[in-house]
This record gives sequence, structure tokens and C-alpha cells, in this order.
Amino acid sequence: MKGKELLKDYVFAHIPGYAVAVLLIVVANVVQSALPLVLGRFTDDLQAGSLNYDLVSSFALLLLGIGITYGVLFGLGQYQVMRLGRRFEFEVRQKLFSKFSTLSEHFFSKQGTGKLLSYVTNDVQSVRESISNGVTQTTNAVVLLLSCIVMMVIGDIPLSLILICISPLILIPLIVVRIGPQIRKRSMNVQESLAGMTESAEEQFGGIRVTKTFGTEQIAGRRFGEKVDLIRSAQLFLVRLSSLFQAVIPFLGALSLVLALLLGGTQTLNGTITLGSFVSLTLYMRIIVGPLQQIGNVINMMQRSGASLERVNRLMNEEPDVQNEENAQILDKPQEIRFEHLTFSYPGSAEPALKELDFTIAPGQTIGIVGRTGSGKTTLVKLLMRIYEPPRGSLFFGYTDIRDLTLESLRERVAYVPQDGFLFSTTIRDNIAFSDREAPIEKVETGAKHAMIYDNISRFPEGFDTQLGERGVTLSGGQRQRTSLARGLTKKAQLLILDDSMSAVDAVTETGILDNLIQERHGKTTLIISHRISAVKHADEIIVLSEGQIVQRGTHEELLRREGAYAIMHRLQEEGLRHDEIE
Amino acid sequence: MTKSNNSPSTDGTSTKANRQTSFASSTLKLLMGYAKPHTLAFVGVAICALLGISAELLQPLIVQIAIDDHLAKGEGGSSLIRLGIFYLGIAIVSFIFTYLQNNLLQYAGQSIIARIRKDLFGHISKMSMSFFDRTHSGSLVTNVSNDTETISQFFTQVLLSLVRDGMMLILIIVLMFSLDPQLAAFSMLILPVIFVVAALFRSYLRSTYQQARSRLSRLIAFTAENLSGMGLIQSFRQEDEQLGRFTEQNRKYWDANLKQIRSNVLFNRTFDILGNAALVLMVWLGGRAVLGQSMEVGVLYAFVSYIRQFFQPINQITMQWNTFQSTTVAVERIQRVLQTQPNVGEPLDTERVSLDKTALRGDVDFRNVTFGYRPDRPVLKSLDLHIQSGEMIGVVGTTGAGKSTLISLLNRFYDVNQGSIEIDGTDIRKFSQSDLHAAVGLIQQDPYLFAGSIIDNVRLFREDITREQVIEACRFVGAHPMILRLPSGYDTHLSERGSGLSAGERQLISFARILVFRPKILILDEATANLDSETEKLVQQALASVSKGRTTIVIAHRLSTIMHADRILVMQNGELTEQGTHAQLLASGGHYADLYRHARQSGREQLPS
Repeated sequence: MKGKELLKDYVFAHIPGYAVAVLLIVVANVVQSALPLVLGRFTDDLQAGSLNYDLVSSFALLLLGIGITYGVLFGLGQYQVMRLGRRFEFEVRQKLFSKFSTLSEHFFSKQGTGKLLSYVTNDVQSVRESISNGVTQTTNAVVLLLSCIVMMVIGDIPLSLILICISPLILIPLIVVRIGPQIRKRSMNVQESLAGMTESAEEQFGGIRVTKTFGTEQIAGRRFGEKVDLIRSAQLFLVRLSSLFQAVIPFLGALSLVLALLLGGTQTLNGTITLGSFVSLTLYMRIIVGPLQQIGNVINMMQRSGASLERVNRLMNEEPDVQNEENAQILDKPQEIRFEHLTFSYPGSAEPALKELDFTIAPGQTIGIVGRTGSGKTTLVKLLMRIYEPPRGSLFFGYTDIRDLTLESLRERVAYVPQDGFLFSTTIRDNIAFSDREAPIEKVETGAKHAMIYDNISRFPEGFDTQLGERGVTLSGGQRQRTSLARGLTKKAQLLILDDSMSAVDAVTETGILDNLIQERHGKTTLIISHRISAVKHADEIIVLSEGQIVQRGTHEELLRREGAYAIMHRLQEEGLRHDEIE
Repeated sequence: MTKSNNSPSTDGTSTKANRQTSFASSTLKLLMGYAKPHTLAFVGVAICALLGISAELLQPLIVQIAIDDHLAKGEGGSSLIRLGIFYLGIAIVSFIFTYLQNNLLQYAGQSIIARIRKDLFGHISKMSMSFFDRTHSGSLVTNVSNDTETISQFFTQVLLSLVRDGMMLILIIVLMFSLDPQLAAFSMLILPVIFVVAALFRSYLRSTYQQARSRLSRLIAFTAENLSGMGLIQSFRQEDEQLGRFTEQNRKYWDANLKQIRSNVLFNRTFDILGNAALVLMVWLGGRAVLGQSMEVGVLYAFVSYIRQFFQPINQITMQWNTFQSTTVAVERIQRVLQTQPNVGEPLDTERVSLDKTALRGDVDFRNVTFGYRPDRPVLKSLDLHIQSGEMIGVVGTTGAGKSTLISLLNRFYDVNQGSIEIDGTDIRKFSQSDLHAAVGLIQQDPYLFAGSIIDNVRLFREDITREQVIEACRFVGAHPMILRLPSGYDTHLSERGSGLSAGERQLISFARILVFRPKILILDEATANLDSETEKLVQQALASVSKGRTTIVIAHRLSTIMHADRILVMQNGELTEQGTHAQLLASGGHYADLYRHARQSGREQLPS
């Protein structure tokens, strides 16, 4: 099966490492299992009176030697296995992140950030745990169990006695495998109810103004209380099973001791076994409980991690939606951009988002695109950037189909300023110089000046080195948009796309930015998308989109003169005017 | 901001040491207060715990008796069987009571936590609005969920460990001394060693654990951010650069992991070796004692077993110390919230005037009001403003002019420093807050939606408001067609983020709320900002119908929103500088006329000249 290759490759690549670890653990356990045997011998010798003070000391030294050898060897083996497990985690994370950066927006929108993050955290972790603990604990348990039995036999304890005494303990892994998953299910239930309460608290505190202004605090309290009670019952449901589990394992341990006491005791009295053997038998029964419990845990863990491993593998085998075609060409010089009867639907959607788009952008032109939310403005940009693949034969750079261009060369020549003003949690400088992190500060400052954010940034104590994000400064919506604009301008690309990127900027600043833009972008192609007419007024051509279609095109003045969508939009923004005229 | 109502324990003048002791004791006080109704349950837990540990505790003793009284002497077949059956009995008792103890403890603990959570929530929702202005709602959520969860661990883990492991430890010591005082005295030497090793390692383990945690959360935050910004990374071709930064984070986490593994393995193995060393000590000392005939073989066996049993409870107890510390911090945080009193108090019973909603006219008077968030910096200065029943007032002014403050005062989110605000001639401080809030409705810029159906969002989960009333209200504000277009109509489930409703559609729902709750005075605080032109039109129409028969105050920075008000107020630096109709203000050529000209010239708003 293909699903296991990630893990298999890793383990195969680290066979010597694992072999050393397993060897260490095996030796450690064999050594440890001698401990009760030695204690048994000691008891017998003590009982027989064949000991002297020196012999007592050498017994003590032998036991000390066993203890230290076991501790050191097992520690080393355990460390080695855990280190390898973490290494696996590290490497898989690297691979995952590289993989993410090849995948397209379509994939991300399908999966959601939360789900993708759980690949990097939960899934990787669960696979790692299963190999670390799997190796350590399985080796541990099997070797310890076997060597304990061997040691008991060496210690002249009849096999039948051993097996009878062990029999209750054999139930332990069975119980763990049976109850374990159920406990897990119930504890996930607890986690969910906790998350539900957190969510409810977030919701209630977020809406506290509404609650208070309408005086419905009582109702809010009641709704929150319901969530709290859910946690309580989930917890009690869990504890009913988990405490049974906690109680039953020592009970089975005690049971096997009762058997050892009764049967072993009788045989000691009969003289079948010595007192020392009896002592070591009881000690062995205690040692075995732990490993048997671990075997059960490992089985449960393996089952869970199997699903995780498969998920990670599936992701690694995901084909990117958008990738270079064979013999893709390099976009090396400014070209006209031609839309030829472009019709596009999002994957899985029946309704086309763009219909029969047909127009050409000459190099150096400034084009404005206006239209309502959902009219297809942003879709157009996504196709131009190949965030989604346009159908073949509908979008050309010069005479080359956009799909025959390499993604690298295309994106190299396009600068994109998104609507949301997304910034990374790093310094402002790093954000503005995003296209070239080594850019000199002068270049960054020029970009900031053009985007009219320079003054704001200089006012921060640390200026351009100000850290943004959770552990730094939070910018206002308008400041974010302008910083993001500076980032786009600093790239100095042949084609600049502004996707409604000044919506949170005030009017005076917007005018200033547009003036800078006209100067700065002279001779280069600029595409301005906006729902506000003021942002596109100066464009060489304005395209009005409605429901994915071009309904009007022309300059601001031309469009105003004609009766149509643009003029209506213009008037809608002038609502006050008409009232005033009537009065 | 005023924090004068906080308790003396948060007073900055008390020394740090003082604070810590007072918190530690008040931690216990608070928890004890909540635990008190469950005293019986806790006594039960202690008894159950005692019976629950009996099998483990008595096991070495029973083997000792078997060895010394029977096996070593070679006698007593039937009494050996009795001993075995006795032990079986104890095992069963242990089994039952361990089970009971866990359930009982969890029951008591969970009941306490549920109580704390509800109390905390109730207390927070009583706070005045100024509290929510200065307290981030995220930190309140943390108080209610994480902090209480830590306390829950205190009850189910710390307390249990103290009782169960503590008893275990003490009883082992007692049994050892009763078996052989001399050897017991020797083994007591080991006890402090174990404690010291465990305690030292614990704090080191904790620090490595926390380091790994914080690096992991940074790694996750980095990944989350990069996933959200992947489109940008790709369009700026920064995949390699970002991978490099990811590697840096990933490597840091891996380093922290190795450190954690090392310290964990070292701790566990040291403890192991220490355990074996203790055993060796017993064998050596005990062996010599048996040789000297001062001790029996079985007693030695019991000692060897008990000394190994020492380690588990000590390990557990030191582990709980960390949880206990987190509990203190959590309780401290919760207490700080519980001790904060609402800034705005309810009127005394003797002064209270009840507000009859049906008889309310809706006159609003600001009489010589002075107010500042800090008394030395007044935001409103001697403001006099009289609004008549049914009037529609527009308020404009630059940011910081005091527009929103006006609203906050009328809603009594804050109390005035001087002067008074009256509704129908009665000082609003004489109304109960629920009466006041029922009389004054507020619509804000970003309408908040709760997780629930549209019906519930309009009636705010009040079940005495019927579905028909809600639908009628929605029809009235023009939201009905929009709602019918949704997949499940009025039963469509909404969430905080709005589930596909546009800002304007959400605003329509908040207008419907007003119609259902029928406040006599209505305030709109930038309620039409951020809407696109078309939805704004819908909202304007809704406003027109909602404001009928109500005193309405509209705050807006878009002049088109308030141009048609009965009266426009212009605020500058906390003072009322101009008022009148649109035409009057334009004619007077003051600040309003300036604002109007600027808005027109910027092209942002298409306004008539």
C-alpha cells in the first residue's frame, strides 16, 4: 500500500539508529529481569544461613550493578528512540511546509487553515508517538515478559505455576485495548464540551453590548450555564469509565498475587519451590504489570496513528492544481494582455463567475474595474495571477497562452495588493521589502512614501524595524492597507494589481496615493479594482462588471455621459443630491 | 481609566511579598468557600481513598506474614489460605473504593467548577460597559475557561494526590516503623534525598517543557500565518525564503525537544537508579541484620517492597506542586475579576423611580454635563442639550469631538462628573439599569450576531416574544425578502461571523431587534458606515420606518446619513458649536459648511453644492 511510505522510508533510512536503540533496550531489560532472581537467591541463602557479611555486601553490589546498568542502558536506548522520533517529526514538518507552498488557493479554501495546521501538529505528533513509544514499549514489554519467564524458569519455578499466576495479568492488554478507545472517545467529548463553553463565552462577551443594551443578561447567563452543565456531565460520564480502568489494573495485579500466595505458598510448604523462588515469583508479578499495560496502549496508539499517517501521506501525494506545463516559456518582456472570450467557473460550481470576457490591456495602460460585490472583479485577478487556471485559449500574454508561461516568470512580473491588507508578523521593513528582503532601506522608504504610510511608520519608536503582529504593534485597517500597498509598489513589477486596496483609506490620503501612483506607474501597466468610483476616475479605461460580464467600458467622462450601470452607481453614491433637488 | 473600585489587594502600594502571601491565603479562602457545601463529599473521598490504597499498602505486609509465620516455619496450610482469601477481600474493597473515590471527587470538583463558572459569568455580565472597553474580551474568556479548568485540576489532581499519596506515604512510614524501627530510621535518610532530587528535577523539567511549548506555539502561529498568506507568498515568489524561516522555527522547536527528552530520560532513570540504590541499601543493612538474628526474612522482604513504593507518591506529590502554582495564579486572576465592582451603581431603593415604558414620552435633556474618562481631561464641557420627544437628531464632528461619549453617557456606560442627564425630566441615575436599557436602544457600527437562528437573533433568545412578532418586525424593516432567500429562511443558523450575511443585512437584523424590543429612544452610532451604496439605501429606508414615533439620535461621519435630520448638532472638542437644519448650517458658513465642502471636494461622497 502506498499509504505507509513516509514512515517506511524514514525507518529504513535510520535502521542502524533503531537497531542500536533496540539492542540497548533488550540488554537493559534482560539485565533488569535478573533482579528478582538475585533477590530470591539472596533470600534462600539468607534462609539457609550460608551467608556472611562479605557475601551480603557482594549481593548488594551485584544488585547495585544491575540497577545502574539497567538505568544507563535503558536511558540511552530510550533517548535514542525518542530522538529519532522527534527527528521524524522535524523532517515531516519540513516536507509539509514545502508541500503547502506548492498548493493553490483552491486547495486551501477546501481544507481550511485549522485542518491544515492539524497536519503539522496532531497528525505528525501522533505518528511520532506511535513510532517512539511503539519501538520502546513493544521491545520493552516483549523482552521483559519473555526474560522474566525465562528467569523464573531458571530460578526453578515450575512453568505451570508461572502461567497460572500470570493469567489474570494477561487480561490487562485486552482490557486496555477494549476500554482505551472508549475512554478516549469520552475524553474527546469532554474536550469538545470545553471548547463549546469557550466558544459560548467568546460569543457572549463579544456580544455583551447587545446583551446589555437590550437588558437580556439573564438569558445570556442561562445559555452559558447550559454549556457549563454539559461539561459537568461529560466529565462525570468519562470518570465512570476511566476510574473503572484505573481500579481494575491494580486489582488484576492483586489477583495474581493472591494466586502466587496461595499456590506458590502451598508449593513452598510442599518443598516444590524454595522460599527464594516464592519471593522472586511475587516480585516478578509486580514487574510485569507495567509492560502489559503498555502493550495495550501501543496497540491503541497504532490504530490512531494509522489514520494520521494516511492523512499526511495523502497530503504529500496531492497534485498541485496549478503547475508549470512541460516546455513552459518564460515571460521576459512587457506584453499586452488579451482576454479572449474568457468564461470561467470555480471548480464544483455550475454558475460561471466570468462570462465571455473579451478585452485587451496594452502595456503601460491603467485600467479600472468596478462592479458590485460578486460581480467577478477578484476572480479576474486570480486568473491573471494563475491562482486559478483559466481555461486554455482564453487568456494570453502577447501571443502566448498564460498557461504556457512558467509560474515563476509570470509572478515575477506581477505585483499584487490584496483587499485585506494582509501583513506578516515580522518587521514593517521585512513586510514592505517582501519581494526582495535584502532591499536597501532607501527603497523601502520610497515605497512607504508613495503609499503615504511613511509618516506613520516614522512615528513609531523603532520606525521601520517595528515588529508587527501578536507580539508587536497592531496597525489600523487603513495603515495595514497602505503598508500592503507599499509592499506591492516596492516590487516595481511590470503589472500592478490593486484589488480594492484603498477601501479603508480616508479620502484625502486616497487622492494623494492616486497622484503618486500616476507618477510612479508611468509606462507600466496598472489594474485598479474598486467599488468606489473615486479610485478609478483617472484610468485610461474603466470596465464595469456585473454578474461576471462586461456591461460597460470607456473613460470616466464617457461612461458618465451614457445612461447605464456606471452612471447609476455614480448617482447611488450621490443619494443626498436627489433629495436635495426635490426639496 | 478609573480603577478605584478594586480591592486593596490589587493596590499598587502593598509590597510584592505581602501580595503573594495574601493571594496564597485568599486562594485557599476562595476555594474553601466554594468547597464548603461539599464537605461531606470530601470526607467521603478521604475515607474512600484510605480504603482504596489498602491493597497496595498491605501487600508487602501480607507477604511478610506469609513468609515469616508460615513459609519460613513450614507450617499453617489452612491459615495461609485464610491469608490469601483475606488479601483477596482487601483487593476487592480497594477496587470498589478506588472507583467510588474517583467518581465522588469528580462529582464534587465538577459541581464546584460549574458554580465558579456560572458565578464568574454572572458577575462579568453585571459589569458596566466601561469595564468591557478596557478589558479585552479574550482575557475574560481565558478567565472563564482556562483559569477555571486549572482550578478543576486542583480539585481532581492536587487534592487527590495530597490525600491519597500523602496518606500512602505516612502509612508506609508507620508500617515500616512498626516492623523494625531501626531499619525504618535508616530508610528515612533516603526520604529527603528523593524529595530534593524530585523537586530539583521538577522545576527543570517544567522549564524545558514550557520552552518546548512556547516554541511549538510560535511554530504553529508562524505556519498558520503563512497558510493564510500563502497566496501572497506565491505571488511574491517567496516560497524559499519563507521555508527558510520555517526551518529556523522548526529547528528551534527540535532543539527544545531534544533538551526536553534529555531531561526527561535523565530524571526518570535517575529516579529508577535511586530506587534500586535504596533497595540495595535495604538488602545490605537488612541482610546484615538478619544475619545478626535481629530481624526476620519476611520483614526484610516487606522493607524492600516498601522502599520501592516510596517513590511513586513522592513523585506524584512533587508533580502536583506545579499544578498548585498554576492554580494560585488562576485563582488570583479570577479573584481580580470577582472583586471588581461595576463602576455604575444601581439606585438606592428609596430613590428609585420606576420607568413605565408605555407612558414614556422620550424627552432627553443633558443639563450642564461635564465628563472626562480621566477627571483632569474633560471630554464634554458644560454641555447643555435638549431633545424633544420624537425628534430626529444628527450629530457630526471630527474623531474625538465627544460624539460617542454623548451616547455612552445616555446609556449610562459611565456616570457624568458634573450636571445630569434626564429622561422625561428624571435623572437617569434614578432608574434601574435594566429599565434604562429597555428605554434606550442602541445600534452600533458592527452589528453583533449570536450563534442561533435568525428568529433567536432578533428576539435575543427571549422566548416570550413570538415568531410572528419577529417576522412582522423583519417585514417592517425590509429584511423579510432577504431572509426568505436564505436556505432555511428564519431558521437559518447564524454565527458570530455572520454566516454569509453582508454588513447591511446584519444591520437590518439589528433594526428588527429594535422593533421587537420597542425602546422609546433610539441611538445609531455610525450604523451606516462601511455599507456599500445599495445596502445603505435599504438601511436608510429601515431607519426611516424605525425612527417613527421615537426620539432618534444618529451619529455619522458620512454627511449624507444625517443631512435630513430635524436638527444637526456639530461637536468640536467636547462642545456643541453649531446646531440647526442642514440648510441653516450651510447658510451660516461655520464648521459644518467646511466639513460639507471638504467631503464634496474629496470626491468620496457625491454631495450637492
